[in-house]
Amino acid sequence: MVIEILQSLSEMQIVGELTVLTLLIGGIIMVGGVIIAKIAKLLFHKYYAPSLPKDTAKNISKLIYFGILIISFLGFTSSQGIDLSGIMVAGGIFAVVIGFATQSVVSNLISGLFLIVEKPAKHGDTIELPDMGITGTLLDIGTFSSKVRRFDGTVTRIPNEKFFTSNIRSLTLSTVRRADVIVGISYESDIDNAILVMKNEILQTMPFVLQIPEPEFRIEELGDSSVNIHVFVWHPRDDWSHAQPILLTTLKRALDKSGIDIPFPQRVIWTGKD
Amino acid sequence: MKIMNDNSETVFSNYGIYALKDDLELLLPNTSIKFHRISDNAFSYFRKNSEGKIVEKIIPVQSNDLKIELAPIRPLNHPARRTSHIFLKFDKNIHLSANSAASIFVHCPIEIGIFLIHDSIHDSLDWITCNPLNSRFGLYGSPDTGTLCKYAEVSSAIDYNDSNSYFEGVMQIVLENTLSFSQSISKVVFPITDNILYYEDSKTIIDGIKITMKKRAAVNIADVNTTSIETDWSMSPTWEDKTANTTMEMGLE
Repeated sequence: MVIEILQSLSEMQIVGELTVLTLLIGGIIMVGGVIIAKIAKLLFHKYYAPSLPKDTAKNISKLIYFGILIISFLGFTSSQGIDLSGIMVAGGIFAVVIGFATQSVVSNLISGLFLIVEKPAKHGDTIELPDMGITGTLLDIGTFSSKVRRFDGTVTRIPNEKFFTSNIRSLTLSTVRRADVIVGISYESDIDNAILVMKNEILQTMPFVLQIPEPEFRIEELGDSSVNIHVFVWHPRDDWSHAQPILLTTLKRALDKSGIDIPFPQRVIWTGKD
Repeated sequence: MKIMNDNSETVFSNYGIYALKDDLELLLPNTSIKFHRISDNAFSYFRKNSEGKIVEKIIPVQSNDLKIELAPIRPLNHPARRTSHIFLKFDKNIHLSANSAASIFVHCPIEIGIFLIHDSIHDSLDWITCNPLNSRFGLYGSPDTGTLCKYAEVSSAIDYNDSNSYFEGVMQIVLENTLSFSQSISKVVFPITDNILYYEDSKTIIDGIKITMKKRAAVNIADVNTTSIETDWSMSPTWEDKTANTTMEMGLE
């Protein structure tokens, strides 16, 4: 019964040597290929991906998926008796035409490949793109674009070409990072005493500030109303939120406790008679 | 361990294994810990430290009683686990002549762990430091390639009995200078994860290290190796802050 059906299908020609049976076999190969690709991708994600870096896992996953799809497609074409050499020649000419028309798309694709090879930043790194004013966590380097989650929770998509050619400042590549603020004290205040109280307060109340290198204090300028001191502290790279945002509060608290003035802008006016 | 505080005498809890039937209160310097039975199959845990931070947990139990261990652990977890290295800065430099060796004892900071014991497995419940002001980070090397370490300024100790209860353990450091000129040593940096801690009552001792200063090719280097102690003191469970919060699919954490 089944043999009879298959025979009848093989006799039903569509175009040239293409019959319903070969088309059915080709369809089965393609559907089977897609299913196998999905299963392989799923198994890879379940058993191997967790032990690999996220970027590598993502790239290998894509390689497995599209690799199996391409093999299935080649199986499909050979089952249909399609000669690809003719398509190759036509495809070459077509590719040149398409290439001119879609320069930016190709450029993004190539840039994406270069980004994957060069790896200026990896998944999860905190980066800053100063040219674009973007700072955030790198989520993904995709085929045509990369995604960065900014600190306000929004996700920005950046075309790979722009990402590749722009300056990338990595905020998580070094072991430690430096936070800094400027604080002004009055001209009447003893500078050495002010530095001492600020240093003690930092070392006592900011556990993520490094003891070595010590906090550093530089007299930035003798300003209009205050002596401005530039304060630098080092902290582990992942603990920026425990240093920079609270540094100024800590310094103000130290100066307040010691009765050291943080002056308001002021102007001394001398009259001619005096 | 008793410490005189003004006119009153404070008795602190010793390290060791405690079997709980009902409630238990453990007192440590600047820290109080309370276990309270809330049902037949559950205890509550409460801890308040010197910084006013409170930690509360519910501990379900399978049997009627609960067994815990209070023990010293490596000083790697406060304020957060960031490294496995420690940077010990000696309060006085150690001068070592050419081709000579010396052995010293130093006070090394410790933290304290609270462990649940079931079927001879130790599960970390919590950890504390009694001296948060001496629990800081330091960098050995340059910012881009250096090693982040827990940093402590350490003083010399007389012997293994000179432990500063709940705050510092005693570690032996053997120094050997095989170079043809003298050396002044002010600090040592090493991964402390290979050093085991031992305790008795409220005292702690830590596996030592051996520092050998030698020439390798044209470079003078200091080789640091761990040396084990042979002691009848109780061995502390080995543990660092690795407890994971598992996120479930329903959004619970």
